Amino acid sequence: MTALRVLTVDDSRTILAMLHHTLSNAGFEVLQAEDGQQGLDVLKTQTVDVVITDINMPIMDGIEFIKNVRATGNHQSLPILILTTETSQDKRDQGKAAGGTGWIVKPFDPEKLISVIHRVVH
Amino acid sequence: MSDLDDFKATYFDECSELLTELEEQFVAIEAGERDADRLNAVFRAIHSVKGGAGAFGFSALVGFAHAYETLLDYVRDGRIELTDEVVTLCIRANDIVTDHVAAARSGEALPADYGMDEKNRFDALARGDAAEDDTAGEPDEEFDIEFVPVMVNIGGNDDDFPEIDDTFEALPMAGESGHWEVHFTPHRALYARANDPLLLFRELAVLGEMTTKAVLEEIPPLSDFEPFAVYCSWEITLVSETLTEAMIREVFEFVEGDCDIAIAQLGVGTPPTAEVKAALVHPATPSAPAMAPINLLELADDEVAHLLEFDIEPAAPAKAKADVAPAAVAVVEAKADDAPGLSFADIADSIKPAPVAKVALAPKVVITPAATPETAPGEEGERRSLGVQSIRVDLDKVDRVVNMVGELVITQSMLTQQMDETLRTRYTELVRGLEVLAQTTRGLQDSVMAIRAQPVKSVFSRMPRLVRELGLKTAKKIKLETVGENTEIDKTVIEQLSDPLTHMIRNSADHGIESPEKRLAAGKPETGTIRLSAEQAGGNILIIVEDDGAGINRDRVLQVARDKGIVAPDITPTEEQIDQLIFAPGFSTAEAVSDLSGRGVGMDVVLSNIKKIGGSVHVRSWTGRGTRMTLRLPLTLAVLDVMLVKVGDSPYVVPLSSIVETIQCSRANFERVPSGGQVLQVRGEYVQVIDLAQRFAMTTTTEPENRFVVLCEAEGSAKVALIVDDIIGQQQVVIKSLEENFERVEGIAGGTILGDGNVALIVDVQSLKTSIIHKNAA
Amino acid sequence: MEALGLRDDLNDKSAAAAQNSLQLIAFSIGEQTYGVEITTVREIRAWNGATPLPNTREFVRGVINLRGTIVPIFDLRARFGDGQTTPTKNHVVVVMSVGDKWVGILVDAVSDILTVSRDDIHNVPEGNSIDTELLNGIVTHDSRMVGLIDLHAVVSGARMDN
Repeated sequence: MTALRVLTVDDSRTILAMLHHTLSNAGFEVLQAEDGQQGLDVLKTQTVDVVITDINMPIMDGIEFIKNVRATGNHQSLPILILTTETSQDKRDQGKAAGGTGWIVKPFDPEKLISVIHRVVH
Repeated sequence: MSDLDDFKATYFDECSELLTELEEQFVAIEAGERDADRLNAVFRAIHSVKGGAGAFGFSALVGFAHAYETLLDYVRDGRIELTDEVVTLCIRANDIVTDHVAAARSGEALPADYGMDEKNRFDALARGDAAEDDTAGEPDEEFDIEFVPVMVNIGGNDDDFPEIDDTFEALPMAGESGHWEVHFTPHRALYARANDPLLLFRELAVLGEMTTKAVLEEIPPLSDFEPFAVYCSWEITLVSETLTEAMIREVFEFVEGDCDIAIAQLGVGTPPTAEVKAALVHPATPSAPAMAPINLLELADDEVAHLLEFDIEPAAPAKAKADVAPAAVAVVEAKADDAPGLSFADIADSIKPAPVAKVALAPKVVITPAATPETAPGEEGERRSLGVQSIRVDLDKVDRVVNMVGELVITQSMLTQQMDETLRTRYTELVRGLEVLAQTTRGLQDSVMAIRAQPVKSVFSRMPRLVRELGLKTAKKIKLETVGENTEIDKTVIEQLSDPLTHMIRNSADHGIESPEKRLAAGKPETGTIRLSAEQAGGNILIIVEDDGAGINRDRVLQVARDKGIVAPDITPTEEQIDQLIFAPGFSTAEAVSDLSGRGVGMDVVLSNIKKIGGSVHVRSWTGRGTRMTLRLPLTLAVLDVMLVKVGDSPYVVPLSSIVETIQCSRANFERVPSGGQVLQVRGEYVQVIDLAQRFAMTTTTEPENRFVVLCEAEGSAKVALIVDDIIGQQQVVIKSLEENFERVEGIAGGTILGDGNVALIVDVQSLKTSIIHKNAA
Repeated sequence: MEALGLRDDLNDKSAAAAQNSLQLIAFSIGEQTYGVEITTVREIRAWNGATPLPNTREFVRGVINLRGTIVPIFDLRARFGDGQTTPTKNHVVVVMSVGDKWVGILVDAVSDILTVSRDDIHNVPEGNSIDTELLNGIVTHDSRMVGLIDLHAVVSGARMDN
């Protein structure tokens, strides 16, 4: 079985590093991007199984990023998880309205992270 | 070192970057640039600091950052006006965040009430405009989860789902049979957000013994089939003793609002609830007619079989493909061309009145061609290489590469030097190979250097705060202008830049800029300006600190220099030489030492620091108008373009960047001056002559007319003519420190190792020139 | 070669004796024998020239390339005020660490590896100021007098203006 590929998009290196650690320990192949634009660039050339994205990012934020991904023909069925510290419901709702599949609340518990990913990925 | 420590190290690195950025942003904000982008950047920076702090359980930092973030959020959306008072508060808050980060890093605890005043002011501000919002203040409890990296079993069971929301708490039910019925009708939006019924079912299946039944009545004939329409719903039964409605709801957490869902418990003998009945009577609501093919594409056929409880007859791929609606084919049309003979006529022919089979077979077909590119040769490699857009590497590792490339350059030049004419004519292939090697080496070197290059911004950004503090302490009005902060320079040079720049700016603020009264009296603007700029000039970077202050008090500087024996009484230095004296070792205008620039270190420290990194300093002053200090720095510390010369029997190198031209002595126009010394006349200009052999006490046997003049430009306009015995040629050298194992030697900037393994010394043109004064004074 | 000598010597000694003993590398300048503690010695190389350093005193013979780093060479004879050595290929540079720096000392030859007892180290008699300045002590070995070099003193005051 080939490893699932996860694109992680976050402007915080700390979060990227933690995601990388958790996900690669769980057997995922992890790609990284530091903002939405970089994330889109990765998706232009890469096939991934799931995307985990932050909302607050410079250059292109998570909401725009998700909208852009969904606007791309072959990414309509790509699961996108919103990763955010936002406690208010509105960010989640915005993310979901833009086409987000689900969400993960930071700081994340590794096991939950993995189980949430499996909730949206084959 | 544990992973957690690794993450912490990353976090603290990131924090210092974020804090630097904050400082930068606030310099602009203070200057009146209060656009949304800046406010967003500031918000993000604090947000990121908080996010990481939450992960590590730095609760004091989280608490403060959260309150600050809330304030920034209000400022961002206009609920709080960004007055100067708020800006000042924010700048103070940045300091507090910095202190909190430092405390978290060192593991020391700050006083419990640290930053409490500011936090209260945030809260007061927030309350003032948004009294109903209660999020300002205490951090959310979400942040107290400590991050502990653990190995996670990818195939592990799924019973550890996120906490159940209170609102979904199951109501106590009569009849504990644990027999549940779920009617699930996805909407189009569910698919549009890439959720997938199959995954939901898989999750449900973990909860108990499950049977599913697809409701397919709504599926239209293929001719009416809309590819993205939803035609399918499901009836699911789950049997488990421990199951609650909340657990079922939990599974549908992400798709809430994107589907109709009816959950009912069917106890033995308990009649179905009204809701379930309704669902069963109207299995397909108008808004949720069927199933989207795009999701079916991903179903493995055994799963489909299980879901639909149909036996699927094996079908030839091409035939099955025809069963898919045309639009569905279109989705994957680029990949479906492996059935060239297939036309729409075939598709039409193959349509049979068994709709269920069609749906069931569709995925099998499409999945195969869609998977083809995945295994295409080359694809795999491309994927991997393109995966990461940028990486972060330890500077040590880069340095190792830089050093090795440096050695490679030496080896390459050594090999080239070994080629004499005989070899050249005999081994043309070897010569060509060496030329390619030289080129490649140069390219490699440039690339490696580019890795270490960084904008000087990181140093410049620390200066506004310094100027602010200096202004306060000296009761002067000073503004700082920065120019060219994106100029890139080797990271190791940048690191060495902070102290000298701090010194120079202190000097300007302290000795250069006058008090507001004096400035007004002199007809100058009340506020003095210090201008900090960076630019690239050839192989050098110029960093200039300029002020519009009073200029250097030359009378006093000269007096001090004479008193200290730096300048002999009978010497009358030029104005430029006097200006330069402020960098002379041991020169410190004691009377002028203030609380700020003093501290027992003079500007000579600036000079020695800059020299250490292969740079030079020049100062020029205009009485009443200001002072300009210019740092000339090498682009990189590692490699220097030089002219290799001979003095006596020893090799010396002169940095190419300081050479104007070379002249054979027989053609040079020397003149005697009354003191008995020599000057060189070049294009109407008289230039001081330094015979390096004499200066370095080397015996030379070369006839005077066979020697060479190397005309150099020191800082400023003044030139100096160095007399050497021979000129060997140009080359690149790797700078080696003499001080590593010895000490600084006057007139020498460092050493380098030549191709033959011998050490050559690097001539320090600037110090040769300035040392004239000392020499005469001695 | 010196490493082998060291090992043989160690094997001969009891632990207690070793604790109180000192191992020296002894080298000669003319008729005189000097020693430095073996632990400071990094390597011994044949003299192969040095690039002269201007503005330094005569006992600084210049600098050499030691595997990519620049190391200064001090002429011990000149340091003792007996004029510069006229080195040949048979002269030897002893590379040592002094503090965090590496320096080379030019000597006529390396003569021996000695084990002496710390109790046998005598003070340098007052008199010759160069001796008291540059030696830590004197020890007798096989009825020869060995001067213990104070490396810090030897390498100091190298610059012309000092």
